[in-house]
Amino acid sequence: MKVFLSSISIYPLLAMELKIIVFNVIVSLLENKTIEVSDETPLIGEGGLLDSMKLVELSLKLEDAATDLGFEFDWTSDAAMSRSRGMFRTAGALAAEFIAQSER
Amino acid sequence: MIVVTGASKGLGRAICERLKSKNIEVFGLARDVSDLSFPGMSCDVSSYKEVKSIAQHLKREGINVDGLINAAGIASMNLAITTPPEVSERIIRTNLLGTIFCCQIFAPFLIRNKIGNIINFSTIAVALGLKGESVYAASKAGVEGFTRSFAREMADFSVNVNCIAPGPIDTNLLKGLTASQIAKIIAQQIIPRQYTPDTISDLVELLLDKRSASLSGQVLHVGGV
Repeated sequence: MKVFLSSISIYPLLAMELKIIVFNVIVSLLENKTIEVSDETPLIGEGGLLDSMKLVELSLKLEDAATDLGFEFDWTSDAAMSRSRGMFRTAGALAAEFIAQSER
Repeated sequence: MIVVTGASKGLGRAICERLKSKNIEVFGLARDVSDLSFPGMSCDVSSYKEVKSIAQHLKREGINVDGLINAAGIASMNLAITTPPEVSERIIRTNLLGTIFCCQIFAPFLIRNKIGNIINFSTIAVALGLKGESVYAASKAGVEGFTRSFAREMADFSVNVNCIAPGPIDTNLLKGLTASQIAKIIAQQIIPRQYTPDTISDLVELLLDKRSASLSGQVLHVGGV
């Protein structure tokens, strides 16, 4: 029972923490730090926050963050750059992928 | 530390020995690393997985990579129509994909440092369109094209990417050529002289030097074409 309780209380908190890490890394790369990043914020393509240079920096910073957290973050999958289903299409999609990879 | 592919023989080996003699740390990659006189690991550069796992190992060990020299290469002198498909595939995989994979996988080290050099290898066969080297020349033409575009992508991070295109240098790669064939190729260079692995090592040193910081995306033709 105790294990069950801890698994439902800790897991959502961890996912939320990972999401905050991803959003903080995104904001750290922006000139304008007052931009509010939400799940729907586009990262690449039309209206996206990041140019190609920032996208590379974001990927490397997330890789480093993942290493510190004890897992490996791979941004080189076939789907990574797809506008419709890629992890970089929105901040929320990126956070979801980061969380998913932390659980593998 | 400079990562050098094809480090067990030929140009790669000569470059490693030269850099080592200048107290520059090198890390050699080759399929057979049994007799290296410097640190290295066994790796087939045409395998993305193998290259990736070496990079992960270096990262875990906290080794700072500030340069990459893609000297691994294979050749098969043959007319295109008599080249078996497996040979064509092997040449493209090692020469072109091997270079691309190593650049993709080791570049993040250099990007993090916001400085570094990548040196790729082409051949005079591209510029001269040498008969009997179609597939080899195609693989190296790919390396030249990749070098030019990749240099632009890396310029944002102060990483320079260049390519050295030697003529016939006395290494194992020349095994399939006769002395008169070699002489014919050399005669087409602007400076009609056969150069040595030492000359190539000089050029590598030059490109690694801070004073070459304004050069990127260039193909340097040894002997001139």
